[in-house]
Amino acid sequence: MNITLRMAWRNLWRHKRRTWLTVGAMIFSNLLLVFLISLQFGSYRMMIDNTLRSYTGHMQVQNKTYNDDPKIRNSFAAIIPLADEIRHQLGTDSVAARGVAFAMTSSKQRSYGLQIIGVEPDFETRVSTLPGLINKGHYFTDINAEEIIIGSVLARNLRVDIGDELTLLGSGRDGSFAAGIVIVTAIFESGVADIDRSMAQVPLGYFQSLFSMGDGGHNIVINAEDLPLVPLVQQNVNDIVHQRKELAVLGWNKLQPGLKQAIQADMASAWFMYAVLIVLVAFSVLNTQLMSVLERTREFGTMMALGVKPIRLGSLVITETFIMSSLGLAIGAVLGSALAYYLSIVGFSYPGMEEMAGKFNLPDRMYPSLSPLSIFLGPGIVFFCSLLASIYPALRLFFLQPVSAMKAV
Amino acid sequence: MNAIVCKDLCKTFKQGEEIITGLNNVSIIIEKGDFVCLSGPSGSGKTTLLNAIGGLDTPDSGEISIGDIRIDKLGKGALADMRLHNIGFVFQAYNLIPVLTARENVEFVMQVSGMSAAERSQKSHAILKEVGLEGMEDRRPAQLSGGQQQRVAVARAIVSQPTLILADEPTANLDSVASSQLMDLFTQLNRHHHITFVIATHDIRVMKYAKRLIGMEDGKIISDQINNDQTINVQTVNNKAQ
Amino acid sequence: MFRKSRAHFDVIFTLAWRYLWRNHRRTLIMLAAITVGVWAMIFMTALMRGMVDDMLLNGIRNLPGEIQIHHPQYRDDPSINNSIDPPDKRLLQALQIPEVQAWTGRVRVPAVISSERDSRGITLLGIEPESEVRLSFDLDSIAAGRFLKNSSDHGLVIGAKLAERLETRLGKRVVIMSQDPDNNIVDRGFRVVGIYKAKMASLEELYVYAGLETVQKLLHLDDQISEIAITGENYRNTANWYPQIKQATGENLQTLPWYEADTYLGAMLAMMDGFVLVWIIVIFLALSFGLVNTLVMAVFERTREIGLMQALGMHPTMILYQILMESFLLLFIGLLIGNVLAVSTIIPLQDGIDISAVAQGMEMMGSSSMLYPALKLNDILLANSIVIVLGLLTSLLPAWHAAQLNPIEALGKD
Repeated sequence: MNITLRMAWRNLWRHKRRTWLTVGAMIFSNLLLVFLISLQFGSYRMMIDNTLRSYTGHMQVQNKTYNDDPKIRNSFAAIIPLADEIRHQLGTDSVAARGVAFAMTSSKQRSYGLQIIGVEPDFETRVSTLPGLINKGHYFTDINAEEIIIGSVLARNLRVDIGDELTLLGSGRDGSFAAGIVIVTAIFESGVADIDRSMAQVPLGYFQSLFSMGDGGHNIVINAEDLPLVPLVQQNVNDIVHQRKELAVLGWNKLQPGLKQAIQADMASAWFMYAVLIVLVAFSVLNTQLMSVLERTREFGTMMALGVKPIRLGSLVITETFIMSSLGLAIGAVLGSALAYYLSIVGFSYPGMEEMAGKFNLPDRMYPSLSPLSIFLGPGIVFFCSLLASIYPALRLFFLQPVSAMKAV
Repeated sequence: MNAIVCKDLCKTFKQGEEIITGLNNVSIIIEKGDFVCLSGPSGSGKTTLLNAIGGLDTPDSGEISIGDIRIDKLGKGALADMRLHNIGFVFQAYNLIPVLTARENVEFVMQVSGMSAAERSQKSHAILKEVGLEGMEDRRPAQLSGGQQQRVAVARAIVSQPTLILADEPTANLDSVASSQLMDLFTQLNRHHHITFVIATHDIRVMKYAKRLIGMEDGKIISDQINNDQTINVQTVNNKAQ
Repeated sequence: MFRKSRAHFDVIFTLAWRYLWRNHRRTLIMLAAITVGVWAMIFMTALMRGMVDDMLLNGIRNLPGEIQIHHPQYRDDPSINNSIDPPDKRLLQALQIPEVQAWTGRVRVPAVISSERDSRGITLLGIEPESEVRLSFDLDSIAAGRFLKNSSDHGLVIGAKLAERLETRLGKRVVIMSQDPDNNIVDRGFRVVGIYKAKMASLEELYVYAGLETVQKLLHLDDQISEIAITGENYRNTANWYPQIKQATGENLQTLPWYEADTYLGAMLAMMDGFVLVWIIVIFLALSFGLVNTLVMAVFERTREIGLMQALGMHPTMILYQILMESFLLLFIGLLIGNVLAVSTIIPLQDGIDISAVAQGMEMMGSSSMLYPALKLNDILLANSIVIVLGLLTSLLPAWHAAQLNPIEALGKD
C-alpha cells in the first residue's frame, strides 16, 4: 500500500466517531438518492409506457396540420396502403391506421357527444392496450362491420349492453350529414374513468364510409419495441413517408407534450431536493476536513520542518476524503440498491398514491427500476462534491508556516 | 480538630498490561490550619492521594473524611457540591477556563453555587485585588502570564471561603519570582484565613514553606516530619527572590 | 431558588456562547449548513404548497364548489334525467349560515356545439350570472365581449381555445345540441357574446356558459337544475360546516364535500401534508450528522476544561446543559438566518413564477402555468420546531457523553 494511502487510512481512524458521522451523512444521502432516483426512473418509464400504450403510441404519421388543429378535414388519403407499406418496411405489425371524428351518439334513452375512432381490427390490438381490456363481447373481425366498442362507464350512461343499437349523428369530412346505426359488440374497462367514459371505436372501413373519408384517415400509430428505440424507428418511418410532403412523423413528446413536461417539472423539483441533500453532505465533509487539518497544525508543521512538501500534505487530506467518500459511496449504493431492489419486487405505495397514480396512468404500486445509472448517478455526484469540499482545507496547508505551526496547540 | 482523616487507602490503576499501585495502605490525619507538603518523585502517589482527598477519584478501599463527612460514601453530585463549598483546587497548568476572563473565572464558582450578580462582582473584585491582579480583571487567560494565571486560580480557590485548598504542582510552570510570590500568597491565606493547605510538589522552594512535610514513594508514606525551616520570614524570602 | 437558576443560566449561557465562537470556522460552516437546510425546508414547502393550493382551488372550482349537491345518480351518469329541484326552504335556511360565502344552482349537461366548420362535445353550463361570479367565474378572464347579464340572457360565453377549434368568433352564431328528459334531441342557435381564457387550456375547450333560464327552456326542464354548488371561506375548513348542509338536504340528494367528490384532490391535500413533514425530517436527518459531529468535536477539544469544571464543583447535569445550550444557540441562529433567507427569497416571488414552459405537464397534475409560492405560518412553525426539538434530542448523546467524563481522566488528557 502506498504510504500516503496508509497514513490517510490511519488518520481517519484516529477519530473514529467523527469519520463515521461524516461517512454516515454520505451513506444516508446516497441511500436516499439511489432509492429516489430508481423510483423516479421506474415511475417515469411506467408513466410514459402506460400512457402511450393505452392509445397514443410511440409515434404517429399525421397530416402536418393535424396535431395543431385536429379537425376531420386535416386527414390524408390512402391511409391503409401506407400503413401496409410501413408494416412491410419496418418488418413489424405494431402499425395501425386510425380515423378520428366527432358524433352525437344516442341510445334509446340517452345522447352524448363523442369522439369516434376508426380502427384497423387486425392491427389495433398491436398498438393499443384497450382492445385487450374488453370484458364483455369480442373485438371486431371485419373492417367494414357496422359495429362499435365502447367503455364501461359510457355503456352504463347510455344504458346499453352488447347487441344494443346506437345511432351516430355527425358531419362528414366534406361537411355532409353523417348518420349511421351501429351495434355494440364489446365493452372494455380500463379502470381509468376518463377513458371508459369517452372512448368509442368503430372499424376503419365503416368509419371511412360513414364520415365520407374516401380512403383517408387521420393517423397511423407506430410502436417501437422499446422506448429507447423510438428515435431510430422514427427516422426509418420518416424515410418511408418523406415523399408525401403533406405528412409529418411526430414522436410521443410532440403528441403528448404534457407527459414530457410533467416529467420535466417533477425532475426539476426532485433535483432541487437532491441538490440540497448533496450540499449538506458537502458542508459536513468541509467541516470534518477543516477540523482535522486545524487540529493537526502542529503535526503538519513538524512534517514540513522535516522537508515534506505542502502538496504531499494536501494530497494526504484529499486522500482521506477520497477514502471516506468511497466508503460512503460503496455502503450507500449497496444499501440503496438493496432497498430499491427489494421494493422493485414487492412494490411500493404510500397513502394518496392510488389517487395520484390514476391521474398519470400508473398502477397502484410503484416499482423502482434499478440500473447502473440510477445506482451511481446520485452517489457519484455526492462523491465528486465531497472531494470538491475538501479542496479548501487542503489548500490551507500551502499557507502553513512551519515554525508557528509547530507552536500551535 | 482534624481537617482530613484518611484510613487504609488503597488504589491501583491499569496501564496497558501492567497494574500500577497508586496508593498502598495510606493512613494520614491532617489538622485544621495545617500547611502540608506531599513530596516525592513522580509516580509516588502524591497526586492520587490529593485527588482522593478532593473526591475527584475514589479509592478502591479505605476511608476518607473531610471534617466530619465520609466522602468515600458520597455520590457524584454530592461530591461536586462538597468541592464547590469546602475545597479549592489549584492545578499545575490549564487551571483556568480559557473562554472566560479573570473575573469570570473567579465568579464561576460563585455562579455555580448560585450567588447573586451583585455579590459576585463585589467579592471577585476584592479577591482579585487581594491576590494583586487589580486592573487585569477583564483579561482572558491567554493574555496573562503564568504567575498571574496561577493567582487567578488561587483567587478562584478561596472565593467560596473553603476550609481546604488542594494544590497539585502549583509552581511547576513558574519562574522563581512568580513561584515565591505564589507561595507567599498561600502562607498569608493559611495564616490569616486559617485555610488548610495540602500541596503535592517536588519543588524544594515550595517545601520550605511547609509546616509539615510528608514524603511518599510507591504509594506509601515513607516520612512525616515537622518542618523546622518553616520559620523563614516571608519578607526575607521575597527579598531573596528579588 | 430563582436566583440560583438565574446564576446557573448565566454561566451556562456565557460558556456556551463563548465556546461556540472559539472555533468560529466550524461554527460558521455548521451555521451555513443549518441555514441552507432551513431555507430549503421552507422554500420548497412554500413552492409545493403553492402548487397544490392552486391545484385544489382550480379543482374545487370545477367540481364545482367546496360542497356540491346532486341527484344520487348524477355523478355516475351526468344526464339531464338526473336533475334535481331548486333548493327548498330548509336548504335555503341552511345556506344562510355564516360559513357559506356563496352558492349557486346550475344546469350542467353534456352537449354538442357546432359552427359551420366543426363540431365538438362540450359541457353546457346553465348559470345564474350573479351568483356564479361570486362562486367560481372570474370576470377578468373574459378576453373579448362580455359575460352573461342574467339568467335569461340569450348569449353564449365560450373559451378562446374552443372558438379557435370551431373557427368561430365573437358575434357569430353557433348551434348547441343536447337531449331533453324524454331523449328528444333539442337544439338552438346562440350568438357568442363573450370569450374567456381559463388558467387551463383544457377547460377552455370544455365549458360553455349560457343563461340558466334559457337552458332550462331549451332542455324542457321547468325550474330543475343539475347541481347546487356551495363555497366557503377556506377549503380546509369545509368539514366543519359540511354536516349542517348535509342535514338540510336530506336523504334523497347526494351531498358531498370536495375531498370526497374528488378523491384525487383530497389525497393531494393529505399527501402534501405528509410530504412537508417527510421533507423537513429528511433535511433534518442530513443536518443531524453534521450537528452531532460538531458537538462531538466541541466536547473532544475541551475535555480537559470539562474536567476542570467538574473539579471545581460543577454538576454533571450542568455540563450536559452547557452542551445542549451550545447546540440550541447553533440551531437558533441557523434557524433565524434560514427563516429570514427563506422569507426574503419567497416574497419577491409572490407575484408568481412563470412555469409555462411545462404548462401542459402542470395541467396533467391539475395546476396552472403560474406558480404562486404559499408561505404558511404553520409550515414555518413545523420546520422550526422540528429542527429545535429533534436537534436538541440528537444533541443529548454528545452532551450526555460530556457529562459522563471522568474528571481525573479528562484533566490528565493532553
